[in-house]
Amino acid sequence: MADTPVFSYEVTTKDVEGLPDARGDSIKAMFASNYGVEVGAVRVILRYQVRAQMSSEEARSAIFDLFADPVIEEGSVNETLLNDQTVFPIAPQIAIATGFKPGVTDNAAQAGLDGLLTIFPALFEQAEVATSRTYLFWGVPEEISPDWLASKLHNRMIERAIIADTIDCQAKNWPTINFPDRPALLQQKPSIVNLEVSDEKLIEISQTGLLALNLEEMQAIQAHYRNAKVRITREARGLVPNAPTDVELECLAQTWSEHCSHKIFAAKIHHIDTETGEDCSIDSLFKTHIMTPTLDIQSKVDWLLSIFHDNSGVIAWNDDWSLCMKAETHNSPSALDPFGGAMTGIVGVNRDILGTGLGARPIANTDVFCFGPPNYSGAIPEGLFHPSRVFRGVHAGVRAGGNESGIPTVNGAIIFDERYLGKPLVYCGTVGMMPRRLPDGRESHIKTPTPGDIVYMVGGRVGSDGIHGATFSSLELTEESPSSAVQIGDPITQKKMIDMVLEARDLGLIQVITDNGAGGLSSSVGEMAELTGGADLDLSVVPLKQAGLSAWEILVSESQERMTIGVSTADCEAFEKLAVLHEVEATAVGTFTDSGSFIVRFGEQTVADLPISFLYDGCPQLQLESEWIPPIHEPIIFPQVNANEFGEILCRLMARPNVASKEWWVRSYDHEVIAQSVIKPFGGVNHDAPGDAAVIAPIQGQTQGAVISNGIAPRYSDIDAYAMAAASIDEALRNAVCVGVDLDLIAGLDNFCWPDPVESAKTPDGRYKLAQLVRANRALDDICRAYNLPCISGKDSMKNDAILDGKKISVPPTLLFSLIGNHSDVRKAVSSDFKNVGDHIYLLGETHQELGASELAFMFRDESNGRSGIGGTIPEIDAKRNLSMYRSLTAAMGAGLVASAHDCSDGGLATTVAECCFGCDSGSIIDISPITSDCSHIDSWGALFGESLGRILVSVKPTDSVAFEASMKGHACYKLGRVESGDNITFNNGNDSVMTASMSALRVAWKGTLDGGTN
Amino acid sequence: MVDTPRVAVLSGFGINCETETIAVFEMAGAKADRVHVNRLVNGEMSLDDYQIMAVPGGFSFGDHLGSGRLMGNRLRFGLREQVRAFVKAGKPVIGICNGFQVLVKMGLLPGDEEVSLTQTASLALNDSGHYENRWATLEFDPNSPCIWTKGMTRMRVPVRHGEGKFVTDDRTLLDEWAESGQLAVRYVNPDSDYPSASDKILPYPISPNQSWRNIAGVCDRTGLVFGLMPHPEANHSTWLGATWTREEIEHGEGEGMTIFRNAVNYVKNSLL
Repeated sequence: MADTPVFSYEVTTKDVEGLPDARGDSIKAMFASNYGVEVGAVRVILRYQVRAQMSSEEARSAIFDLFADPVIEEGSVNETLLNDQTVFPIAPQIAIATGFKPGVTDNAAQAGLDGLLTIFPALFEQAEVATSRTYLFWGVPEEISPDWLASKLHNRMIERAIIADTIDCQAKNWPTINFPDRPALLQQKPSIVNLEVSDEKLIEISQTGLLALNLEEMQAIQAHYRNAKVRITREARGLVPNAPTDVELECLAQTWSEHCSHKIFAAKIHHIDTETGEDCSIDSLFKTHIMTPTLDIQSKVDWLLSIFHDNSGVIAWNDDWSLCMKAETHNSPSALDPFGGAMTGIVGVNRDILGTGLGARPIANTDVFCFGPPNYSGAIPEGLFHPSRVFRGVHAGVRAGGNESGIPTVNGAIIFDERYLGKPLVYCGTVGMMPRRLPDGRESHIKTPTPGDIVYMVGGRVGSDGIHGATFSSLELTEESPSSAVQIGDPITQKKMIDMVLEARDLGLIQVITDNGAGGLSSSVGEMAELTGGADLDLSVVPLKQAGLSAWEILVSESQERMTIGVSTADCEAFEKLAVLHEVEATAVGTFTDSGSFIVRFGEQTVADLPISFLYDGCPQLQLESEWIPPIHEPIIFPQVNANEFGEILCRLMARPNVASKEWWVRSYDHEVIAQSVIKPFGGVNHDAPGDAAVIAPIQGQTQGAVISNGIAPRYSDIDAYAMAAASIDEALRNAVCVGVDLDLIAGLDNFCWPDPVESAKTPDGRYKLAQLVRANRALDDICRAYNLPCISGKDSMKNDAILDGKKISVPPTLLFSLIGNHSDVRKAVSSDFKNVGDHIYLLGETHQELGASELAFMFRDESNGRSGIGGTIPEIDAKRNLSMYRSLTAAMGAGLVASAHDCSDGGLATTVAECCFGCDSGSIIDISPITSDCSHIDSWGALFGESLGRILVSVKPTDSVAFEASMKGHACYKLGRVESGDNITFNNGNDSVMTASMSALRVAWKGTLDGGTN
Repeated sequence: MVDTPRVAVLSGFGINCETETIAVFEMAGAKADRVHVNRLVNGEMSLDDYQIMAVPGGFSFGDHLGSGRLMGNRLRFGLREQVRAFVKAGKPVIGICNGFQVLVKMGLLPGDEEVSLTQTASLALNDSGHYENRWATLEFDPNSPCIWTKGMTRMRVPVRHGEGKFVTDDRTLLDEWAESGQLAVRYVNPDSDYPSASDKILPYPISPNQSWRNIAGVCDRTGLVFGLMPHPEANHSTWLGATWTREEIEHGEGEGMTIFRNAVNYVKNSLL
């Protein structure tokens, strides 16, 4: 390729009146919004470097046929636009060119290549494209250096930047990024790893190889290779009998990684509770507190079709269709490269849905993020990004991943806490749908592999990106974390693959399917080999992004956009033909067998032979210690305030990032593709009042719906993780109840993100963190049983710590509880916004003096620099009482008696009333005296800002009041006031005015905090 | 003779609204097929068998190199004569959102009499610089020859795009298109009285993208080829509206359906 010419295309917005350079304006707005830095103007030049055998005439024709828009853009080839005085009459003050490092996924370049081949098909397989962009700045404040600007415009881990300062710019010494050529790789022959070494040495092998295996696990592997029978088999297959190959060791490390095998949830735990004196042993939290309750519920219902064993859990939605749902986290990659990490998170969980049963169609995404505070002003440790940059990057990644895949983002949340500075949590969830039966009669949720089926790898190619993702995420984040763990998703390659796979499914061409996520082929082929009892895989035929990858790298690489599919030999021809039509790469890479072994070859040479039983059952159970000592917190210091000052407190609370409007961010997700969106993220007269759960009607024209909601309450972990988990589950269900979910068909997903709970020198408080996990699991067990809410799928991420500058930052233990449920008739769905002035306002559910770890407590703590504590009573749950009320409320909704319903959570009653008023452009008058009957010692703080569970704020038409009250008989149901016209929101206690505020002031506070910036 | 119009709904390469686009045509009484672009290129299927062609919304080729550009090129280079023959035969074509971008970038809209496939307008990045999903109110030009929008006054629909600002580099063309009724649909302030479509650019977010003359969609001179940025197919039923829970309504067909019904009826009355 060295003598192939490189053509450099440049594109920028034409200078036409009424046509801004919106790309440049966005950068300008980003600097203002993220950093408070105002620059005069920014322009952007897009650059495409094309290496291809084209004539200069062909090259010239491609400017406006392909790279530049002939109507609104300037374009050039091999001449920089910066030297064109008609385009840039005034030279920029600073110019910064950025581009990807070699080997990083460049989607725009891939698209450019595809476009080039459309015009010049003869260039097939010979052309290469790379993109870069040049940012031009005018009017940069003196104190801002070019280096600083550049640091905000690229991520050093995956991108390069070349800077031209003012002197360079005056000398027309423009920055250029060279074509990102990858240095050739030299393929390493499989090596043998000698495990007949000391224990210290075993640990060293694990650590230097990023295997994340502990001593017991290394010893179990050592023992396997000492087994005489194993040695005989190995010898017969031409392998070194008494030691693993690097391929085998890597494969075991992936399969046994915390990420893939959930060792902490499977561990035997010795648990001590110093409060109660309990001393017990728990044999697997997963089996005890998640699986058993769900199986118990399964024995009572007929709609739990597939739980625990597949890529997502499947429920019967009606006789013709089933729904499935899965949520994942992508935390470590998102810390290193927020955009790429988050994007691979969302497209990755989409593949879990595609890989469920015989293939489900993704129909909705959910995104829940936990970040450091966007206005964080403390020092940022080396190796970390400022939370606002993480936020923007993650958001952009999920936006691109979801929008480009044509999957609506229907529900989510964004949570802020300083402890997410070290590791952001990026939860990505997807709902899928599939026909209960395929045209050939098979039930779609059951995989049907047989020995002899051909193993196809479909979609993207394998590269060195994403090697060691699974084991890496099983370690804490450090400055040395490898860049190979970072990847950028390619939604369009995946979209083509999804289209192709679903067509193949309906044609009956798929026997078994799973995605290539963590662990790559080693996991995907390995897992499916468990179904038939073996597989034979040839790595030499796997298509590569770059020649020269070693066998173990091909086996464990987590390169994205790949599915592994089993196809009957009779169907292979049709399957391959379909792949060609969709321009999707599908390669036969092996065969499923019943040999009992996962055999991996590279051409003729066998490089791994792992008995399925050892691979999946050989990992020794962890033995862990847990000890609960309740934490002690300082109490909250409440100020003495009058009604107006109370109103100012509400105003500040509404401006807290946790409460503030996320509309600017949410609006840039497509939430309506598929034309099924009944209850949207925002409602109300101005479309800006936050909704609760999403309701979708996924079969166009039909009125049966699905409800999707999320609950997350990490604040409460600081006092008790039991309360945290209970609050999360209740919040998810409450949200679903607010829109009128069918309570007889609800299912949940548990997603744990914990700091490392294994006691060690690095984690001296491991016992406490594990006790938090035990308590959260017990809450999950108790509450899900009480709500008849089976957990159909879940995930855990157990190493959410960062050690940076020698300091450890652990995330607060966080459970995201996601819920999917049925809606019998979407025409009866209820939204959160108050509807009309004069409507009566009711609070359902009991309010207690529960302000411990509330959003208000955290606000007072932050405002007092920690003088005020967060201590106090935390919300206690009465699930039975709640469920009974929820049932009555959904019945009232079915009867059309409810005008609005809104979940009462962060910030308590006061913020909830305000949000409902936003939706009606109204105010309200509330009397809190009725709710004081719930609790003997409640005060105004507790009534207005307490976050007691099981509460929903409802409004009802005056004419429906009597019927509504009758239908809620026997439940805590208090008429608090009415929706009023005007700008005032007033809370009284009988005749005493407690709080008063201006709605317009509240709106400004609530909308201002997270405004992402305007061009 | 068949009396059910057949609709080719294009798919592939990141088009993603084909499911609902098929659904709305079927609700409007047509028979709609998902037609992968490559099936037309390789001859497995033919546009000759259809009376309506729809290019649905989506993110074809990830919007890289400009939204609709690469898909437009697939049609302009790979299916050139098939598409020209379809248009010249007087059969209705619609492009929605990304499909509209495709039709504009390939020069089919606003188009010319020879169907020369020469681009004369474009859809630039929204002034906001980013993608947005929000609801807008549209007003239709009663004097437009557009067969798709016949009899329509206003419609509420979601917009979901990052590049929807309709512009051209020759402002005299705007007057020509206005004169010939090709500026068929524009963003309008929902609180204003009908008719109130105007050339003065409305404030954000009433105009979500600051499109010139508030243009939301255009048709060709014949009124048969039509494209728009907003998504009428996403308002096929009343329960999909942005504020339906605030309204006293009889549930049923949504405001967006008239567009599809118009085309199906046109084919039934004029082509079958």
